[in-house]
Amino acid sequence: MNLTEKARQMLARNLPLEDALPTKMPAYVNSAAYLFGAATLAALALLIVTGGILTIFGPGWHHVSDVGRFVDALHFWSAQAFFASLAAHMATKFFQAAWRHNRWKTWVLGLLTFGVAVFAGLTGYLSQTNFDSQWASVQAKDVMNSVGLGAFFNTMNLGQVITLHVAVLPAVIVLLVGLHLFFVRRDGPVLPIGERDEQAH
Amino acid sequence: MSKRTDEYLSGVPMKPYDLLREILIVLAIIAVIVIVLASVLGSPDYPTVRAQDVANLQPIAYLQTGATILAGNSSIQHYGPPYTEDRNNAQHLFRQAPANWFGVSIPLDPAQDFILKPLARVSVLNGNVTGALEAYQAASTDQQQAWLSAYMAALDNATVIDGQVQIPSGDYGPVPTLMDSMLALGKAGLLEGALDSNVRQPFEYDFTQSLLFFQDDVDGSVAEQLDMSSDQWGVMHETGNYPGAWWLFPYAFLYHVPPMNNSSNADIQAIFIILMVFLFLLFLPVVPIFNRLPRWLRVYKLIWRDWYSRKKSGGSGDP
Repeated sequence: MNLTEKARQMLARNLPLEDALPTKMPAYVNSAAYLFGAATLAALALLIVTGGILTIFGPGWHHVSDVGRFVDALHFWSAQAFFASLAAHMATKFFQAAWRHNRWKTWVLGLLTFGVAVFAGLTGYLSQTNFDSQWASVQAKDVMNSVGLGAFFNTMNLGQVITLHVAVLPAVIVLLVGLHLFFVRRDGPVLPIGERDEQAH
Repeated sequence: MSKRTDEYLSGVPMKPYDLLREILIVLAIIAVIVIVLASVLGSPDYPTVRAQDVANLQPIAYLQTGATILAGNSSIQHYGPPYTEDRNNAQHLFRQAPANWFGVSIPLDPAQDFILKPLARVSVLNGNVTGALEAYQAASTDQQQAWLSAYMAALDNATVIDGQVQIPSGDYGPVPTLMDSMLALGKAGLLEGALDSNVRQPFEYDFTQSLLFFQDDVDGSVAEQLDMSSDQWGVMHETGNYPGAWWLFPYAFLYHVPPMNNSSNADIQAIFIILMVFLFLLFLPVVPIFNRLPRWLRVYKLIWRDWYSRKKSGGSGDP
């Protein structure tokens, strides 16, 4: 068995370039509601770039440098933009019942991404090394401990918190988003409600 | 297009589209919004509460914290796993306490770890501390508690004159010497270092002990002033006039309704409810009735209004 051959066939079958990078779209894709997914991706890209710069210069940089403080502000507002876009994206996909026509995997992957993103947001607060993180760390520890996670994740261990925030959780988010986009492009945008309803599930 | 897409979209009119152009335009818009907000509003960065600041500005509160910990009355002293063996104090739900499943993974004895061990290090520099420590540890537990009770009661009537804490005279044993040494440690800016030093010095990455030291009253009162306490929906706040984790609103809301608003198991109850809601949403596509909610809410009519009006007018659908 040639694994490369198999992978090539799988991609050709599921995600040819015409689907991955489309130059035409169904006429019903004609609403601003379709832009929230792209906005979430854009905010995620900004989060990764600004977070990457903050990581290179270290966790204390934004306290002592004007440039660092500005990059920290960019990262902060990118996070706000990310969750605002994501909330709007999830709401519109709910109102579209976008899981119809066997698109439940896309829905599930999107929700899992939101769940991991919330945890990434928490570790972001804990990484700020200011009073917000000082207070959040002792408050959040009770929540983690209550469900037994305190044995594995200590909110007051900055080394663990930052590693999760800058490496592990972004990697998981990028992986989930990658899978989400694979199914989005493979299956195409779901038909409007009322179209082929007999195949809706 | 793939066979799959061709079949799904058969009969559906198509329109020209440029995916990369759309993504780049959206990226540019989001970037401009973010840059403007960052330039105009900046980001929250309220300074930490340092032991040195507390020792200099609120020395009585500092001493009360130290005495409370030494008396074994800090909230960590009998917390339960992962810090202590007091398993009955772990939060539980349906007779299960998940914290107990994994036991004590971060063993802490606040009276020892937060007070007596740091003082033992200081004793190398200050002979008075050596004698006070020996006297304290040689005394019975009842005697220690009597000294500490009297000392803490005296702190309620203490005054600060020229930065020095004056307490009414009384029988406090060696406790004032011990607490004054703790205060000196704080004023010198050395308390956090004394608490967090580990076997891998000079490297440090775990700030559990120094973060826990002031968590009860001192940090709590600062958080209260900054609208960050639990009662003030602090979970979704940032310091200052910045949006916080507003996406945690449903979670924060749970702490304001029964039974969570008056429960020693509020955290595990809230997490359990959030987990159930999350699972419900995860399986929504196959939950009868609920998976038809979007059809009844009819918001989709707005999203696809062009498509429906085109169909209604009998148009071909060609854009």
